[in-house]
Order: sequence, then C-alpha cells, then structure tokens
Amino acid sequence: MRKRNLKLERRIARERIEILMQLAREVFRNDPALAKRYVELARKIAMRYNVRFPRKWKRFFCKACGSFLVPGVNMRVRCTKQRVVITCLECGHVKRIPYIREKKAMKNEAKLKGEEKV
Amino acid sequence: MNLRAKYITKHELIGLECEIVAATDPTLVGLRGVVVDETRNMLTLEIEGKRKKVAKAIATFRFRVGNRLVEVEGKTLVARPEDRIKR
Repeated sequence: MRKRNLKLERRIARERIEILMQLAREVFRNDPALAKRYVELARKIAMRYNVRFPRKWKRFFCKACGSFLVPGVNMRVRCTKQRVVITCLECGHVKRIPYIREKKAMKNEAKLKGEEKV
Repeated sequence: MNLRAKYITKHELIGLECEIVAATDPTLVGLRGVVVDETRNMLTLEIEGKRKKVAKAIATFRFRVGNRLVEVEGKTLVARPEDRIKR
C-alpha cells in the first residue's frame, strides 16, 4: 500500500468542503435539491477525512435532514437572551446555540477596562 | 488554484467547466458544460440548460481550472467523489 499523505488529503478535503458549500449557496435559488446534495457530499468528505466544517458554514445546514439552510426561506433564526435558536422549516429540527464566544469577548473587554482604570 | 490543477484527480470536479475531447461514443465528443454532480462512474454535465450524464470510463475530459485547461482520462476518475481524495 502506498503511504497516504494525510496532510494533503486533509487539505484537499477542507478545500472541497468549502467549494461545495459555496456552490450550494449559489445553486440554492434554482435547485434546492442540488444544494442538499452538495451538503451531503461535503459532510461525507468531512466525516471520511476527519475534517471539521469551516465555522462559517456550520450553521447553514440541518443536521437532521441535510438541507442547505437559507434564513427566511427554509430557516428561522431567533435571538433570545441566552441563545440563538435556529429552526429548520423543512423537517422541524431545532438547534440552540448559546452565546459562548460573545460572552468571552465581553468578559475580556471588561477585564481590559478594569485594568485600565486601576 | 494551483493545487486544484495539479491534483485534479483528487479535487472537486463539481462546478468546473468541462469539455469532452474524446469518447468511444462520437456523439459525445465536443460537448461542453458544467459539472453539477458526480457518482462513482458518471459525471452529470449541465449543457445549455440540459442535464446529461456521461460515463467517466469511456471519455476524456478537459476541465477549466482557474485559467488553465487540464485534460484527464476519464478512467482515472472512476471512483466515488469522496473516495477520489484518497486514491
């Protein structure tokens, strides 16, 4: 068996996921089923090569039904005080995302301001 | 996209412009379209609004990657899209 170049495979996998998701967004208007197919492929690649989805695309597909989500069309986005609630209008699956990064950022800002005053 | 041209056999074909430059079936030669889907043995090209499935094994394809053209024998592409990264 030829030695597998994992680094290369992972890099290509990451690029392909990015390409596929970008394409999914572009074709969605005309063919949402095709967009779903691209999501399916991207997920397969991510799983096979153990590569995480780019953060910017993480929230734009439904983990339950695999649809590509577009706010306003098949996705409902609501912000509560504790979390962001994303509902897939295709299958009804609900995803809740707490504000972890934003809270950390606020904490750090407060810390910096506190140090300045002292 | 230099990576893509060099590793075309491993990379994403969907979204690329494609021309069939040779095939065992003469009616396929010269067709030009965009790849919209891929399975183990077939490429689905969208040609002038119509979708056409072409077997990988019987044709030679020329893809446009960025501003380069890359010619590939279909036989080397026979594999499920997620498997092609490995081979």
